[in-house]
This record gives sequence, structure tokens and C-alpha cells, in this order.
Amino acid sequence: MLFAPADLTEEELELQREVRAFLATELPRGTFEPGLGMAAPRDRGFSAKLAERGWLGMAIPVRYGGRDRSAVDRFVVSEELLRWGAPVGHHWVADRQTAPTINRFGTEEQKQRFLPAICRGELSFAIGMSEPEAGSDLAAVRTRASRVEGGWLLSGTKVWTSGAHVSDWFVVLCRTGESTEDRHAGLSQLIVDLRADGLTVRSIPFLSGHRDFNEVVLEEVFVPDELVLGEIGGGWAQNTSELAYERGGPERWLSTYLLVEELMRAHEEVLGTERASIVLGEMVASWWGLRRLSLSVARMIDAAEAPAVQSALVKEMATRFEQDVLACVQELVALEPVRDGDSLLERILFEATLSAPSFTIRGGTNEILRSVAAKGLGRL
Amino acid sequence: MSDWLLIDGARRLFAETCTHEVVQAAEAEQWSSLVWDAAAGAGYASLSELELADALAVLTVAGEHAAPVPLAEAALAGWLVGETVAGPVSVAPGGGLRIEGDSVSGLARRVPWGHAVERIVAVVEGQAVVLSVASAVRVERHANLAGEPRDTLVFEAAQPEEVRAAACDLRERGALTRVALMAGALAAMARLTVAYAGERRQFGRPIARFQAVQQHLVCVAQEAALVGAAAEGVARAPGLFEIAAAKVLAARAALAASRAAHQVHGAMGMTQEYRLHHFSRRLWAWREEYGDEQHWAARLGEALAVAGAENLYPAITGGSAVV
Ligand SMILES: Cc1cc2nc3c(=O)[nH]c(=O)nc-3n(C[C@H](O)[C@H](O)[C@H](O)COP(=O)(O)OP(=O)(O)OC[C@H]3O[C@@H](n4cnc5c(N)ncnc54)[C@H](O)[C@@H]3O)c2cc1C
Repeated sequence: MLFAPADLTEEELELQREVRAFLATELPRGTFEPGLGMAAPRDRGFSAKLAERGWLGMAIPVRYGGRDRSAVDRFVVSEELLRWGAPVGHHWVADRQTAPTINRFGTEEQKQRFLPAICRGELSFAIGMSEPEAGSDLAAVRTRASRVEGGWLLSGTKVWTSGAHVSDWFVVLCRTGESTEDRHAGLSQLIVDLRADGLTVRSIPFLSGHRDFNEVVLEEVFVPDELVLGEIGGGWAQNTSELAYERGGPERWLSTYLLVEELMRAHEEVLGTERASIVLGEMVASWWGLRRLSLSVARMIDAAEAPAVQSALVKEMATRFEQDVLACVQELVALEPVRDGDSLLERILFEATLSAPSFTIRGGTNEILRSVAAKGLGRL
Repeated sequence: MSDWLLIDGARRLFAETCTHEVVQAAEAEQWSSLVWDAAAGAGYASLSELELADALAVLTVAGEHAAPVPLAEAALAGWLVGETVAGPVSVAPGGGLRIEGDSVSGLARRVPWGHAVERIVAVVEGQAVVLSVASAVRVERHANLAGEPRDTLVFEAAQPEEVRAAACDLRERGALTRVALMAGALAAMARLTVAYAGERRQFGRPIARFQAVQQHLVCVAQEAALVGAAAEGVARAPGLFEIAAAKVLAARAALAASRAAHQVHGAMGMTQEYRLHHFSRRLWAWREEYGDEQHWAARLGEALAVAGAENLYPAITGGSAVV
């Protein structure tokens, strides 16, 4: 079977109820401006509250500050936060991918240094993969680390580094060896302090005017040996396994969820027609099915399987669906998207319209995901 | 979780009996005693007595092999009447019959294998009515897109063998059987298509190497996975929400996956001698039966609108426990 069965256990349902109750009291609707999925605002205070509940780094072992829980538990918490539009930005990357990657490949010293602080919601991370000449083709990265006494000197340019201007650290994929005929050889991952000497962060404004993207220029930034993540030369395999955490989760089908909920709340009048019922029913059927697939990806991660193909299949169709949802809402209600509109729906329509193209680009484009999935299908 | 021994047995039985030639012949002859006898011998004529999830799992295997026999109908008949109806038995999916005193008259349309079964169960005014096919004054042969018999039976003051309050909602249960069958057909279609693309060579390499072809492969695999997940979900919680959502997904998948699978197969997929049409034609037919995506989406959407915005996400996660 390609996908593992997916249903929540009684304990997992209890967790779901706890998160819902927490959000209803800590972050009642109407008291905050909700964000769209993982692009929601950063709020250290909110992340700290989640940490107090034990909802950050959930699958990290207790001895490193985690809760020894599962990928499915993390799924349950994440989906509730995302659909609520909660400000998850501060901890998002660290909780989703950096912590599990450090836990898997890091040294004992790195685990003790970073994991408890991530689980407390203190440290935030960014992702240092893309470069001007290395987008989909990540193996083309040119950022290079050269060996020096006690560490490495890192030089190069990273782009599209979301949140680098406000995060503490980022994990940089770089070249430490010559590229041979095996383009994937000679790559490594380094944990880099975003405030290190020789490192410059420049904002690249989004088309919406938002500032989240950055260019990070590294000029002989010293990275001590103890911040090499995993094996020197093992960067490609590690990075690939990190991407599995980045794909297939609820953030891939919830980016536009709030539009529909808000449409129902504020524009009950449009729901009366048969066409509206059909559109609503079709969207919810998709959410129901995609959620089951996405949940089964989390189950497979818990079973120590490597659901790379499955998560590529899910992300590819889920992100297209996120864009379809926006189109459906636009079909049902004639409302101009306005940044500072009077109604929440006008405002989130504005955000959604201007960010929707990125759903099928960020975290690996749909074209690349289709290649990954198709190659895997031949093997399965 | 379904019973693995049962599923394994079903896999073997349908793989052995439902060969390409047998399925092809069943369409020409409008019946397959070979498959029916084997399936009935294995107990699949009384699926209604199993746990629902097990019954649906057997239907999924039957769909995976395009089994040309009314197993879903036997199950539906049993669910309607409350116990297995001696068969072969089929079901009248729609209205058209009326009770007059103690007899039944009217038309039973689109009855699967109506001419070949011994009796049918119809729902008339909330009653499950068992009628002997021999008591029909006329049987007209028709077929669905897949060439499966969908006959019209004409009754004039026929005496029912039995009349009982219908023990389930035929439309919901019928849609449930189609979802299970379609999940199987989609899985088979995905396997067939991936395998074909790996074997068929053009321009000196397997066509699976071309990105444009890979896009189709991914589409078929996605639809099969989605409907597989839906079939499993609805088997665990067979409420209106899940049935509606699952049939919407299955009906849409029937169109999208068949289109992509045919594109990958080129002309070969348009022939009778190649198996793809056993799945694509069934998917197109089953998509319509017991309500297409529009029908079920509308019902789901109405229920959701009534439940309101606050219940939208709880419904997505909790399904019929919420809506
Ligand atoms: C909102 C957002 C946030 C991001 N955040 C980060 C971040 O924090 N850190 C980070 O490292 N990166 C980040 N990225 C970058 C993202 O990972 C890249 O945009 C993505 O991998 C694609 O690379 P590219 O933009 O260079 O496009 P390109 O690789 O140049 O692709 C352009 C087009 O060509 C297609 N294409 C390229 N190669 C192939 C091929 N082999 N086959 C078929 N089609 C192909 C692509 O699918 C795409 O349609 C972010 C991107 C976005 C949109």
C-alpha cells in the first residue's frame, strides 16, 4: 500500500481538543489579525506560550527539551494553529525542520545547545538553501566553506531566505569539496549565526510590499567545527531528508482555508444558491481527502519510513488546491481585495491573491515535485 | 482495519478468475457464471453479513479486477432487507415502482444484470420489496458505459416475495459501494499506467522519462491515492459527510485519472485488446451511479452551510460526528 491508514487515536483527539480550547481562550477570534497559514506573523510571546504547553519540538526527546511525542501529534497541533491563522512565524521553521534535522544528524553538543532552546520557543531558524544560480537545481550551490584552523570560512550568497532578518540562525547548504561527476558529493550543512561577522542580510521586498525575503551575503564568515551539522560531504542526503519534513504537512493545504471560513461567517447570503453549495461541498471533500493523505505521511514518518514520494504527491496536489480555493471564493463573492479593507475577508483576500503564486513554488516547485514523485512511482 | 485473510483470498480469487478474456467475454455474453460461481462459492454473495469495512474492502478488490458480477448489488440487497437475499440478486437503483394493494407495478430501470439475476430488491415508499425476475412481464436489455448490463424490468401487478421496511438508505449505501469499487479500479489504473510508461519506448527511451508523461503518471497516482484514502475513511465512518465527500472525490478522479491514463497509453489504450478500458469505462459509469460529484457536493455543501462557519474545520476533521 502506498499510503498508511490515517485516523486519530483517542489520545490524539484529546490533544486536538486541548489545542482548540487553548486557542479559543488565548487567542479568541476577533482579537487578532489572523495570518494565512505558515506565512502568519511572528510572535515570540505566542511561541513561548505554545512551548509552555509542550507544543513545540513535540517529537524531540525529553532529554533535549522535547516531549518524545510523534509527528502525528505535531500534525494535530499544527493544523489547528494554521487553520486558526495563529502567529506561528517565529517558531515555524525551527519546529518543523531544523529541530528534527539536528536531532537526527547533530552532535550531542549541538542537540544540547539548540534543541532545548527551540523547544522553549526562543531560537528561530531560517533556511539557507537557495542561491541566485541554484533554485530547483540545489546541487548547483556555489557558497563554499574552506578549511581553516578550528573551522571553516564560508563565502557566498543565499537568496529568498525567509525571515533571515529576524531569525537567530540558519542552516546553510554549501560546498566543502570539489564537485566530481557526482554533483551531490562534496556538499555539507553548516549551522550559521545570522549575526556573525561577515554576514549581511538585505531585504528583498515581496511584490506585496511585505518584507520577509532576504539576500544573505556571506564573506568569509567563520563557522567553528562544532557547528558542522552531520557529516562533511553528507549534506545532500541530509538536505533531502530535511525536505521530507518540509513537504506533505498541513501548511500545504491550509494557506487559504480561512477565506472559506470567513466567507461563511461574513457572507452567509452567498451560500443560499445551489452553485455555492456545490463549490463548498467540493472544497470540503478535497480538504477531507487531502488531510487524510497528509496525516498518513505523518504516520509514515512515525513508522520511520521515508515517505518522500508520498509527500511530493501530496504537496503537488495540495498546493494547487490552495490556489483553487482562492479562485472558488473569488467566484462566489464579488469583493475587491483591499489591504486595509473594512472586513477581514477583504484583507485576507488581498494577502491570498498576492501570495498564491508562491504556494506552488516554495519548498520545491510543482514541476520538481512531479519529477521526484514520478521517479519514485516507477520504483514503488 | 479489514481482515487480511479475507482480502488476500479475494485478491487471489479475482486475479485468477477475472482475466482479460473472462472480463471481455462477460461483456459480450452479459453474464459470467465462472466469476459469479467462484465469488459466491467464496461467500462474497453475502457481503452484507460482514463488517462493513470488510465488505467494502472485498468490493475494492473486485473493482481492482473489474469483476463482471453484481457483488455490490448482492451486498446492497442484503443491507436493504436486513439479511442475505438468495441470489444472484440485484437492486433497482431508482424509483419507478409503486405498491398497489399487495402487488407491485411499474418500471425498475438501470437494474445491474437485471436479466441474469433471480430476484431484485427495490425500494418503494420506504419499503424494501423483493421481486422475482420471473414475475416481470418484460425485461429490456440495456448497458452502462462499461457494457455492464443495466436492464429495465417491467412489472404489472407482480406479487412481491417479501416486503420489509428498508434497513438502509439506498442512495447512500449505493454510493458507498461505488466508492469502494472505484478505489480499486483507480489503483489498478495507476499500476497499469506506471508499468506501461516504463515499458513503452519512444525516441530511444521509456516514455516515463519524459516530464510531460510524468505529469500524467503523477496525476493518476494522486487520484488513486486520494480515493484510496477516501474509501478507507468512509469505511471507518460511513456517515453522510464521508459518503458525500468520498463520492465527490471518486467521481472527480474518474474523469481526471482516466484522461491522464489514456493519454499515457496512446492508441493502445483505445483498443479492446488492452485492459485499460475495463477500468476507465467502469470509472466513467460508476461516477454517475448513485449520484455524481455535483449531487453529492451540493448535499455536503448544504449540510455545511447549515452547520456554519464555526463548525467548518471541526467538520473537516470530525466528519459526520460534527455535521
Ligand atoms: C515564499 C517563498 C519563500 C521561500 N523561502 C525560502 C527560504 O527560506 N530559503 C530558501 O533557501 N529558499 C526559499 N525559497 C526559494 C524556493 O525554494 C525556490 O524558489 C524554489 O526552489 C524554486 O527555485 P527558483 O525560484 O530559483 O526557480 P527556478 O528553479 O529557476 O525555476 C523556475 C521555473 O522553472 C521550472 N524548472 C526548473 N527546473 C526544472 C526542471 N528540472 N524540470 C522542470 N521544470 C523546471 C520550475 O519548476 C519553475 O517553474 C522561497 C520561495 C518562496 C516563493
